[in-house]
Amino acid sequence: MPKISVKIDDKDLEVEVGTTVLDVCRANDIDIPTMCHLKGLVDVGACRLCLVEVEGTSKLLPSCTTKVQANQVIHTQTDKLKKYRRMITELFFAERNHVCSVCIANGNCELQDLGYKVGMENVRFPYLFQNCEVDSSHSKFVMDHNRCIMCTRCVRVCSDVEGAHNWGIMNRGYQVRIIADFNVPWGDSTTCTYCGKCVDVCPTGALWNKDATQGSMQKYPQAVSDLVEKREMKS
Amino acid sequence: MLKTKKSFLDVELPKSDPRVKLIAAKIKKENYRQDALIEILHTAQNAYGYLPMNVLAFITRELKVPPSRVYSTVTFYHFFSLKSKGDHTCLVCTGTACYVKGAQALLDEIENKFHIKPGQVTPDNQLGVQTARCIGACGLAPAVVVDDEVKAKVTAAQINNIITTKTGVGA
Ligand code: SF4
Ligand code: SF4
Ligand code: FES
Ligand code: FES
Repeated sequence: MPKISVKIDDKDLEVEVGTTVLDVCRANDIDIPTMCHLKGLVDVGACRLCLVEVEGTSKLLPSCTTKVQANQVIHTQTDKLKKYRRMITELFFAERNHVCSVCIANGNCELQDLGYKVGMENVRFPYLFQNCEVDSSHSKFVMDHNRCIMCTRCVRVCSDVEGAHNWGIMNRGYQVRIIADFNVPWGDSTTCTYCGKCVDVCPTGALWNKDATQGSMQKYPQAVSDLVEKREMKS
Repeated sequence: MLKTKKSFLDVELPKSDPRVKLIAAKIKKENYRQDALIEILHTAQNAYGYLPMNVLAFITRELKVPPSRVYSTVTFYHFFSLKSKGDHTCLVCTGTACYVKGAQALLDEIENKFHIKPGQVTPDNQLGVQTARCIGACGLAPAVVVDDEVKAKVTAAQINNIITTKTGVGA
């Protein structure tokens, strides 16, 4: 693989052509918050948390879907980016009902960790207080739309890794929701194989095991990343 | 005996309904291509005035696309609608054949009595009137579909009676 040189946050790096900015950063201990990205899933650039500044471009670019180019100078920790990351995080909390103290994922939640990481002390946007459904029709799992941040990891893992295509997205704007099949209760789905991959990759307390009790739910997104890697291995 | 889960996709559409034939023909013409979904949904929306769930199920089954993808598509575009307007509906075909045979006179009659134009519903939501561009029954022109029943060669003198007999609205 041909190599190119780039400069990220004053580090001079030699990287392979075709690598994403995010992958380069992760490999070099440069910390960029992400939410929709998960190794092994196709990146969609949905959450915008991973935005970076590239010299010569006025637009901010999502590092998970942007490939490095030769001689680029990239900044990942500017005040502007930090401000936006915190704003995005607050908007996640304001859109639906994230009441950590009673959430199944309390203490085991990527969204909660993100709040701490970006230094969110309060939310400056008015809460929408949407009345979201809790779907407990499935025999093994529960979907609580109140905690969903629409990262679409569940949709992608179910379609691209499991191949079941149970999950989809309906509506637009703040009315957007994750749906099973024709917006049926998850338990009535004709496509779900009960594999549990969506539960493992969900970053929040939106998807959980029915037998979990508050604070006991553990996610394992790494399992999916590993699975994809194993499948790609040539035997 | 083995018990299998009943799928919400297992629905039968009336085979004699010209609109069903129209959609089936469109699917065939598109060669069952999954990426022709939007075009096929357009055909269905034009024929029914909205997208009934059993029609969506039919399309999903024929194209073998994931149901969630069909539903995502339908709810993404404002052109598509999942609900019919009005508890009862009267769909007047305004395709070329029906237009030539007097579809406009039917719409005028309906407006005279119920005071609604195409796309509107009566204030009590009892009756909605819609138009469609050729429902595939040109031999029956002008064709009208009241709720789910296709009425052939309808005259202006008959139309309001047909509506009232079938739906009870305006009695
Ligand atoms: S359990 Fe598996 S098949 Fe069912 S929705 Fe989740 S990822 Fe898809
Ligand atoms: S249910 Fe979880 S994985 Fe799916 S979109 Fe919502 S937050 Fe993301
Ligand atoms: S992680 Fe890049 S946009 Fe979400
Ligand atoms: S024009 Fe009305 S059915 Fe063809």
